[in-house]
Amino acid sequence: MPKCFEEKVFCAWMAGAMLSSSSAQQALRHFGGAAAVYAAVRKDDPDLKEIFSAQELQRLTGLSSDRHLGTLEDRLNCFSISVLSFLDEAYPVVLLNYDDPPCVLFYQGDIGCLRSDRTLSMVGSRRASWSGIRAAKDIAGELSRHRVQIVSGLAYGIDTAAHQGCIAGGSPTVAILGCGLDIDYPSGNAQLKKEILLHGGLLLSEFAPGEQPLGWHFPYRNRIISGLSRAVVLMEAKIRSGSLTTVQHALNQGKDVFVYPGDPASEQFSGNRLLLREGARYFTTAGDILEDMNWLDNQAEVRQNSEGAAPESSLTPTEKRILNVLKPGILSFEQICAETGIAPREMMSALTMLQIHGLVEALPGKNYQKKVR
Amino acid sequence: MNEIISRTLSFGVSGVNGFPVHVEVFGINGMPGMEIIGLPDVSVRESRDRVNAAIINSGRQMHPRRITINLAPADLKKEGPSFDLPIAVGVLTANGELIPSADYDPDTTAIFGELSLTGEVQPIRGALPMVISAKEHGVRNVILPAQNAREAACIEGITILPVSHLREVIEHLEGKCPIPPQSQIPFEELRNNVAPAADMSQIKGQLGARRALEVAAAGGHNMLMIGVPGSGKTMLARCLPGILPPMSFEEALETTRIHSICGKLNSGGGLMVTRPFCAPHHSASVASLVGGGQNARPGEVSLAHNGVLFLDELPEFSRSVLEALRQPLEDGVVSVNRVKNQAQYQSSFMLVAAMNPCPCGYYGSKNRACRCTPNEIRRYLDRISGPLLDRIDIQMEVDAVPVSEIQQSGDAEPSSSVAERVREARTVQMNRYRGTGLHSNAQLKNQEIRRYCRMTSEAEQLLRAAVESMHMSMRAHQRILKVARTIADLDHQETIQAQHLAEAVQYRELDQKYWS
Repeated sequence: MPKCFEEKVFCAWMAGAMLSSSSAQQALRHFGGAAAVYAAVRKDDPDLKEIFSAQELQRLTGLSSDRHLGTLEDRLNCFSISVLSFLDEAYPVVLLNYDDPPCVLFYQGDIGCLRSDRTLSMVGSRRASWSGIRAAKDIAGELSRHRVQIVSGLAYGIDTAAHQGCIAGGSPTVAILGCGLDIDYPSGNAQLKKEILLHGGLLLSEFAPGEQPLGWHFPYRNRIISGLSRAVVLMEAKIRSGSLTTVQHALNQGKDVFVYPGDPASEQFSGNRLLLREGARYFTTAGDILEDMNWLDNQAEVRQNSEGAAPESSLTPTEKRILNVLKPGILSFEQICAETGIAPREMMSALTMLQIHGLVEALPGKNYQKKVR
Repeated sequence: MNEIISRTLSFGVSGVNGFPVHVEVFGINGMPGMEIIGLPDVSVRESRDRVNAAIINSGRQMHPRRITINLAPADLKKEGPSFDLPIAVGVLTANGELIPSADYDPDTTAIFGELSLTGEVQPIRGALPMVISAKEHGVRNVILPAQNAREAACIEGITILPVSHLREVIEHLEGKCPIPPQSQIPFEELRNNVAPAADMSQIKGQLGARRALEVAAAGGHNMLMIGVPGSGKTMLARCLPGILPPMSFEEALETTRIHSICGKLNSGGGLMVTRPFCAPHHSASVASLVGGGQNARPGEVSLAHNGVLFLDELPEFSRSVLEALRQPLEDGVVSVNRVKNQAQYQSSFMLVAAMNPCPCGYYGSKNRACRCTPNEIRRYLDRISGPLLDRIDIQMEVDAVPVSEIQQSGDAEPSSSVAERVREARTVQMNRYRGTGLHSNAQLKNQEIRRYCRMTSEAEQLLRAAVESMHMSMRAHQRILKVARTIADLDHQETIQAQHLAEAVQYRELDQKYWS
């Protein structure tokens, strides 16, 4: 007596068989659902041979044991993973306009996020410079306050900063994973996953539960990152960076690409410079992007930065001097001392006061930065 | 007369203390040979061959007799070659080769030294504790190796007779050629004649770290420096002994005693007047760091007594070694217990630790990208346990100094003027804590913090705001207060003001940046 499974389990079964997008779509349409495809495979339906290649059919048959389906069911239920096939209403149809759309999507969180028309993806290096990470966080935060959703890949570095910035700004953020949703990868971002869900965000993957984070998954899923957003924002990439595949997808899909200039001397931003030379859109602030996308709201609709800051008028002359020196960007303690001529002990007290007022932020390496408003 | 007996006084060392040892020699006609009894270790037993050769090479005869040497008390273990010289003197006397003059009183003259085969007297370990013990036991003259004379010369009321050859000892005891006694070296004179190993005037830039070092020295606070490779953490740490207040005579004696036992004194070096600076490598074992080994010897923490223990690359030290540091950090003393031996060694030191911010070393650097994942960084930092971190009051980030600044000429403030401010702050603390058993702000515990760290209401407000806005723990809160107390002392203020507290907050920042 074969066990009864829900439709979502059969969807996961199909997703696990690495079918080509077109044959999977055709099969789903032809049989009217994943369960029906499964039944056909068990019956050895002759129609199957016309839809699938021999290898695909072999993989489908190989995975069709009750035991395998049971494992998939357990994983889906344990991690409360929901499933969407392209037949479902909630499926983001925008993806069907591009090459190779995933026929099944797995998600945790609020799928309603995908209905927003203000989505941008932010991508960049996993080993980003400190300044790139700061910029990503600040710009994502500012965009988020303008009700823009950020889509990114949950990797370390820029991706993490983009998600965190978006959460801080109050908009939900969407993370596209390169492995099953039940896999703890990257392991340092387990907490970030929870926070994304807690703040109304969405975790999305085309890979069935239990799929390991294989190397090819990541550049492959990048087409979904670009596909789900109106434009791609590149924060920091070297010339041979994987982030550039997302940019490539975006260009193929006919989307705008915004490129942050970064530090002109740094090797870390060499990919950015290349794209800018090739004519990508240049931006330095969130305002530039909003203006280009025509998303500028009146101030009333913009969420205010939740961290209150003291008005600059209440500062002592020393504190004002420090703020003035800090205007251009990140400075080290030594540099601030040298430029203001304030004694180190006075400087330390003043910096603490500025930090408490929320005007200055301390960065690793004894560096300080004026907080971006 | 066939049976002849002689007695010579010497001293041994157990732990950090000396104890009297009577070398008794008994000679009898019979099968020639020499036997040493009284729990000698191998190096003591071997001394019979050295003594034999040394006596012959000093132009005296070894009579073919059966000789028994007893080291009394017979129930204490005797270690080391320092009994060579008293045994040689005893054997010569017992054999009638040496007839002491009437001036020699075997009960008030102590003899110790190692012999070479040629009869030369070699330096020994632990001369200082032996001389201290000798004085306590009413000894008036001490015959010891010339290289050990300077370290012993700081003890008053005892005559030090330095010797370099067995022949000199024989002639002295026979009254033919008395040894000139070593003159006393006044402690003050010793202390004034030293220059610190590293001077702060050599440090370019590093304004923040210099200030942190000054505060740490003023309050005796343990310190952790975090910075990229080559930012000058070691250089800064080396300057610390030079700005700490000068050692008192008692401190110098304690420290020299431990170094003497370990044989770590420079040959011919006298009392240690500069604070020790110990920098064990991170491959150090527990026994080498806190002391131990089969025969219980002091470790690096004791060698750093009254000085600075510098642990570079802190996370690379094995966990058990770091945990073993907790007792000495807390109590200033280490108890080493072994089956055959036990000892207590003083170990009150200032801990200065240095580490990179991440495994590759460049997290937070503006010049190079860090190659570590957040997980790697967390694992690296997690190697330092909370309880250890808890005993470190000051955490300081050290940034690399740009080349342009290094090339700038002009010296920075020298150690001497920093030391002067530190000395004043320490005097304030000594006066405040008189009669409480405390002597520096670093030693304050919960209740004492409440009692001594009074602050203005403005400061209190600021502390509350800082703890809140920077998400600091209660633990960090206490450390901030202690450090603020020291900063106020440097400023000659009895009540902690807002600016003192604000500065102290900067020395806890790593809590939020790295360990949050």
